[in-house]
Amino acid sequence: MTSANLAAVQADAGRPPRDWVLIGLWLSLIVVAAIWIAPFVFIVFTSLKSTGQVMTTSAFAPPADPQFSNYASAWARGRFDTTFVNSVVITAIKVPLGLMISAMAAYALAKIPMRFGRLTLVLILFGTMIPFQVMLAPIFTLVNGFGLIDTYPGVILPYLAFGIPYQVFILHGFFRAIPHELSEAARIDGASHFTTFRRVFLPVSLPVLAALFILDFVATWNEFAMALVLLQDREMWTLPLGLSAFQGQFSRDYGQLNAAIVMTVLPATLVYLIFQRYFVSGLTSGAVKG
Amino acid sequence: MAARAIGSNMRIQALLLLGPALVIYVVFAVFPMLDVIWLSFFKWNGLDPVKVYVGASNYVDVFTKDPVFWVAFRNTMIWTALSVVIPPMIGLGLALGLNQPIFGRNTLRAIYYLPVIIAPIAVATMWRWMYDPFFGLFGQILTSLGLQSWVMDWLGNRDIALYSAFGAYVWQSVGFSMVLFLAGLQGVNRSLVEAARIDGAGRWSIFRYVTLPALRTTLTIVLVLAIINSLKAFDIVYGLTGGGPAQSTQMLALWAFTQSMQIFDFGRGSAISVVLLGVTLAVVIPYMRWTQKREETTE
Amino acid sequence: MTLISVASRAAFAGGLLLAGTCLSAAEDLTIWTLNFSSEASNDAFTKIAADFEAANPGVKVNVVTRGVDDHKTAIRVAAGTDKGPDIYFMWAGLGLGGEYVKAGLSLPLDKYYAEYKWDDELVPAAASFSRIYEGGRHGVPFTFKGEALYYNKALFEKAGIAGTPANYDELVADAEKLKAAGIPAITFGGTVNWHVMRLMDVILEAKCGADTHDALMNMKVDWTKEACAADSFAELDKWAKNYILSPFMGIDQAQSFNLFVAGRAAMMLEGDWLVQQLAEVVDLNGYDLFLFPTGTNRLYGFAEYNYVSTKSKNPDLAAKFLDYFNSTDVQQSVLGAFSTTSINKHVAYDNQRPLEKKWLDIFNTYDKVYMNGDQAFPLDVTTEYFRVINEVASGNMTPVDAAAAMQTFIGNKS
Repeated sequence: MTSANLAAVQADAGRPPRDWVLIGLWLSLIVVAAIWIAPFVFIVFTSLKSTGQVMTTSAFAPPADPQFSNYASAWARGRFDTTFVNSVVITAIKVPLGLMISAMAAYALAKIPMRFGRLTLVLILFGTMIPFQVMLAPIFTLVNGFGLIDTYPGVILPYLAFGIPYQVFILHGFFRAIPHELSEAARIDGASHFTTFRRVFLPVSLPVLAALFILDFVATWNEFAMALVLLQDREMWTLPLGLSAFQGQFSRDYGQLNAAIVMTVLPATLVYLIFQRYFVSGLTSGAVKG
Repeated sequence: MAARAIGSNMRIQALLLLGPALVIYVVFAVFPMLDVIWLSFFKWNGLDPVKVYVGASNYVDVFTKDPVFWVAFRNTMIWTALSVVIPPMIGLGLALGLNQPIFGRNTLRAIYYLPVIIAPIAVATMWRWMYDPFFGLFGQILTSLGLQSWVMDWLGNRDIALYSAFGAYVWQSVGFSMVLFLAGLQGVNRSLVEAARIDGAGRWSIFRYVTLPALRTTLTIVLVLAIINSLKAFDIVYGLTGGGPAQSTQMLALWAFTQSMQIFDFGRGSAISVVLLGVTLAVVIPYMRWTQKREETTE
Repeated sequence: MTLISVASRAAFAGGLLLAGTCLSAAEDLTIWTLNFSSEASNDAFTKIAADFEAANPGVKVNVVTRGVDDHKTAIRVAAGTDKGPDIYFMWAGLGLGGEYVKAGLSLPLDKYYAEYKWDDELVPAAASFSRIYEGGRHGVPFTFKGEALYYNKALFEKAGIAGTPANYDELVADAEKLKAAGIPAITFGGTVNWHVMRLMDVILEAKCGADTHDALMNMKVDWTKEACAADSFAELDKWAKNYILSPFMGIDQAQSFNLFVAGRAAMMLEGDWLVQQLAEVVDLNGYDLFLFPTGTNRLYGFAEYNYVSTKSKNPDLAAKFLDYFNSTDVQQSVLGAFSTTSINKHVAYDNQRPLEKKWLDIFNTYDKVYMNGDQAFPLDVTTEYFRVINEVASGNMTPVDAAAAMQTFIGNKS
């Protein structure tokens, strides 16, 4: 009874003056956040220490004499100039191209009646569920058969193939929700599907495309397993491959290893912090509502 | 006649729009999937010019003679079971907390989600260093708390290595479940919550009878995604333990890779892949049928 | 025939056509080797190729370098076609190198060994690997590495150890003394499987003797019937429980090196390359080395080789290049680029550190070698060998079971 009264009072007052449950909740959220962020602090601190300091100082002691040279050395020894450029080239080609062809396909499947349209859609959606990790060996033999091992197309084409299902899935749901009147108006004016797609659908789906763009950027930037198989020449390595090799070769230089981690992680982190809102909307637009 | 021309024109347009995606998808995703099944019936080391058809013997070898396969199978099952329970539970807890009007919720959300966007191989490298038994983070924290005896060889002790690796996975994947739940919580009817509160329902009752039922769809999606993602566990285990010590943290995906691409036994590696594929399909097909049904009812 | 192989054949046919158009009248020599992590190695290789071209007008040398995994894969791919190199790099041993020999990719070189009298030029231990294959001598040495026990003099002194052990039992007694003094005897990194494996290799050599050890590694005898196999696993178990700096299964070899130079353990089982690594971080006077006392009078080590391909259109030219490559003058000029010591025994060294001098003497003394397990076994057996060793080292498998597991796996192969 009392709690009901209290609730009623609170409802009247608008906001409760002091809600101990909320405060407790807030504190526990802060604790979890501290745990969540601790690894980053530890990594950044270690990246600025010399090997001797790592062995003698405490983990959370800020570096007394920051060794920024760790970054320069790790950059050179980890061949970050090469791996960075490769990652940028692959991502810059794959992400826009993938979105383009996925959007086109999603439009066709959503708005053009086709005999095997539904079957095609199911076939493509099936791909969202299949772990490509099981096919590493045949992908390798296939790409090798085309003579594309250690080339940009050799890794971009499979990336495209495994990015298509999820993007088509989300965009198809989005396009279908666009009212018929909108596209029909354009169609009656005699516009082709290409024009309708470009003039009507692309503009209204910009927010979704932006979200997919960022999600796909992160996924492509971070991809490891397929790159491991398809890019064997170290001149073609991407950042994740470079980091993995760096750990194998120079793991006794603790400071440099951690500097290498920071440099690998930083670009994606910056992109995330800048475009934060799109991450959330992108994840939710398709997966939950679609 | 005009209608016919429009019809064929339409078909060409559809083909042009759908074509690029479909061709790439079929060649580089569907075809390798069929090829892995095909390869699993052959003996091939990558050196010999011919592949020898051996029937089901790769499967027999994998099931009966491979000392690691069942370890990998068991680990994959454990990993999947854990990832269905732990990250979604923590994620749900965080989402419920962040759904309250509390100070700094956007910052907190950003922090929880941050690990999700980091490359799994970088997560592995970070955690491997934190697990270092001599200079790592966990060792140091426990030592400073006077708990030296609790310091363990996190990644070298076969009894705990798998769970140490899973710890890194939890850290990385909780944010993902959290965001999905947060989105789902937007769909909870606020007036219903208010009404329940005015009726005198406690926090737990509101959660149990109002919030949770509204989250049913989200819950299913989170769980299915958790299963699918966990079956793919590759990068984190590769980077943290490489399957060791003594293959005790081996996983199906990684073991298939090892057999095919490091030992160059393509047949056996493919057979392991097909087993993983089968397990995935056993989970995925019921889910796809369910979503299809749901779609049909909402249409 | 799968679609893939059709596709790959078509691709290869295309590639051959392209290759055909750029074929010149001059003699071509294609060499596939590693993209070495040291730039000095890569530069030296390029320089030797250029010099050879200059000395032999009309000859064109193509050096193709790749990463380790890519290189292995590329040779596999080339083996199924007519394409491929005249000379290829590969480790020596029945495992890695032997697989390609078995597949018929390596040309026996007995004729050239006789013609060029290579045995008069080469360090005996390094050349010994060419004799381990069936059907003739295969490949010529590129580098050779020996492995021995490095020790921290101060820690040995602290434990009251004078002199180096003459046999395996004395070594164990020394380890026991170190333990009594509170010093872990040796350090290994368990995450890289090949590190702890070295201990198992040398124990097998000590316990089984040369012939039985070789027979075990060649999978010619039953691991369960040779009692020394289980005995060796029992010794490994003893080392893991008592003498190895613990924990070791969760760290890698580089970390164990850090612990060694930090004085946390007294010994390390490492190759001749460690002298240079130690010199970069500590005063070498505090360290010395001795061979793991096995009593078999063989050196523990492995070699990297260059093999002539059976697909080569001009094996005579390939042999001529290898002769030039390993000649005293050339080796003298690139000394230190590939390895601290040359595989040519006439090369002169100056300004040598005492430990390097010691290695040189060792190399010139021993003409018989036993090699690392991962070079000796085929790849799948190596993987199992690693697993069994790690199981024993982490106290999870009894020595008898370990021998049985090895035999079961080997038996299942055939």
